[in-house]
Amino acid sequence: MTVISNNDIARAIYSGAKEKHGHELSLYQKNVVNFLFRKRLLSKAPEILSQLRKIINKEEGRIIAKVSSVEKLSHKIKEDLTHSLKKRYSAKEVILEEKLDEKLIGGIKLEVNNEVIDLSVKNKIGKLQEHLERNI
Amino acid sequence: MSNNIIENLRKEIDNFSLQLKVEKVGQVMEVFDGIAKVSGLSDIKSSEMVTFPGGETGVALNLEEDAVGVIILGDFSKIKEGDEVKATGRILEIPVSDSILGRVVNAIGAPIDGKGAIKAGKTYPIEKVAPGVVTRQSVSEPVATGIKAIDAIIPVGRGQRELIIGDRQTGKTALAIDAILNQKGQNMICVYVSIGQKDSKLRKLGARLEAGGAMDYTVIVSAGASEAASMSYIAPYAGVSIAEYFMDQGKDVLIIYDDLSKHAVAYREISLLLRRPPGREAYPGDVFYLHSRLLERACRRNAKYGGGSITAFPIIETQAGDISAYIPTNVISITDGQIFLETDLFYKGIRPAVNVGSSVSRVGSSAQIKAMKKVAGTLKLDLAQFRELEAFSQFGSDLDESTKKQLERGKRSVEMLKQLQYAPVKTEHQVVTFYALTKGFMDDVPVEKIKEFESGLIDYTETHAKTFYKEVKESKMWTDKGEEQLKKAIADFKTSFVK
Repeated sequence: MTVISNNDIARAIYSGAKEKHGHELSLYQKNVVNFLFRKRLLSKAPEILSQLRKIINKEEGRIIAKVSSVEKLSHKIKEDLTHSLKKRYSAKEVILEEKLDEKLIGGIKLEVNNEVIDLSVKNKIGKLQEHLERNI
Repeated sequence: MSNNIIENLRKEIDNFSLQLKVEKVGQVMEVFDGIAKVSGLSDIKSSEMVTFPGGETGVALNLEEDAVGVIILGDFSKIKEGDEVKATGRILEIPVSDSILGRVVNAIGAPIDGKGAIKAGKTYPIEKVAPGVVTRQSVSEPVATGIKAIDAIIPVGRGQRELIIGDRQTGKTALAIDAILNQKGQNMICVYVSIGQKDSKLRKLGARLEAGGAMDYTVIVSAGASEAASMSYIAPYAGVSIAEYFMDQGKDVLIIYDDLSKHAVAYREISLLLRRPPGREAYPGDVFYLHSRLLERACRRNAKYGGGSITAFPIIETQAGDISAYIPTNVISITDGQIFLETDLFYKGIRPAVNVGSSVSRVGSSAQIKAMKKVAGTLKLDLAQFRELEAFSQFGSDLDESTKKQLERGKRSVEMLKQLQYAPVKTEHQVVTFYALTKGFMDDVPVEKIKEFESGLIDYTETHAKTFYKEVKESKMWTDKGEEQLKKAIADFKTSFVK
């Protein structure tokens, strides 16, 4: 049982670095690495960093949306997506990570943080199957 | 026919509308021994159901800061690291319907007897808060188990929780099965929950119930020894949910948990794998709550809230008769009494091996019909005096007349309480035999002939003391007229028996 979680450490690092710039920041970063080394936390660095990434994204109103589709998305669709995602999550910036997945058959699948909005044909067929199994 | 199917399909497809929903998902970080650690899944509830890509269900038990500990119900060999896990927003539930009667289902309500799918009606959540105090009523109606020692001395009422406790091979399951067999025509639904038992045992038991015509009103819920511990953990809750379904229709239900020691062991395994801190005997801290919340769901509801009852027979297996171990003491303190089965008695030939001295029923004689109360009172006294005198009498041979008489009566009482397996005795027959015993009609019948006398007496009185039987059956008590007739019938039978 760890008393201090990775999330706590990441949060502390973030709040320390928030107001710093230039030389001060690089000195601070050095200190952080030193601290992690002394406390034997370097092995946990990847997890701490990924938490830090999440925190920074959240604080700065940035969301990363993974979009899976069968074919490459057109510029127009991307713009629409960005717009509606900004509205839904009240974010300032949306980064789309595109991924091609033939298994979806058609449509798109959106993943933001822990949430999934599945608009793929594959999902629809699955739902129809469930519906028919239940009612017939 | 085929047109019909197509038409149906078309109609359903037309009706189908996809409701778009934002789903909460997580990723499997690690899988081991039926447990999955899942990242993500924010806003998940405790004991919420999750689904894996292969269709397996899981239950979120441990909610940590950035991971969720999930127990996997079913086959976990196909679940890989990185699999997407979906939250369902629902607490684990099982399908229930009237057509579940006569079936064998597993811990999540899926049939395992090869008789095809069970038509689902409703779903019931597995975890439910027990009925509150305003909905309850005190226990007053008997459960006729058909076992003389229990019905006479340790009576069980509808809505009671009576523990069956004893070492291995002392007849705990046999007692429970006899009780189920005797429920035929007694307006009772039975649920038998088998936890961590051998499949061969279950098969034998199922066949036995089938042969006795008991499957018409019985459901078997089974979590076998080869299944994951998570199945054993939820099986009793699934069983009681099925029982509640029938209780909600105002029916009386008898549920048997065979056995709760294995249930506690399964929960210990899960808890240790989830890295919950171990306590005494390595059981987690909430092992008491595990059983108390289960057994509290046994109840008798008053008519205003729909009536019905759930009577629970939990079974606990002790090691070398040690009833002061952790789990036995816990369950003893939760239940309304216990039936002790002892190895010594079993090998002495006293079967069922019930130790009537240390067995109790805290509901007591309020769960007996009046006629039984009358005869059992004297029987209890006879047996208590016999136990006291038995040890004492071994030291000297010159005993006074009344002591000798008491000893002889006691020996006959003990003999009378013996009973063969799968041979439940009707309440009226029990009343007649105990009447004959306590009124001294058997005092001069040799001990070894008691059994023979008993069966003969039942046959004879059934035709020669019809009034008595009718009175006991209908008004639960005899009148002077019936008693006179019975007395005469017993005396007549005795003269012919001695000859």
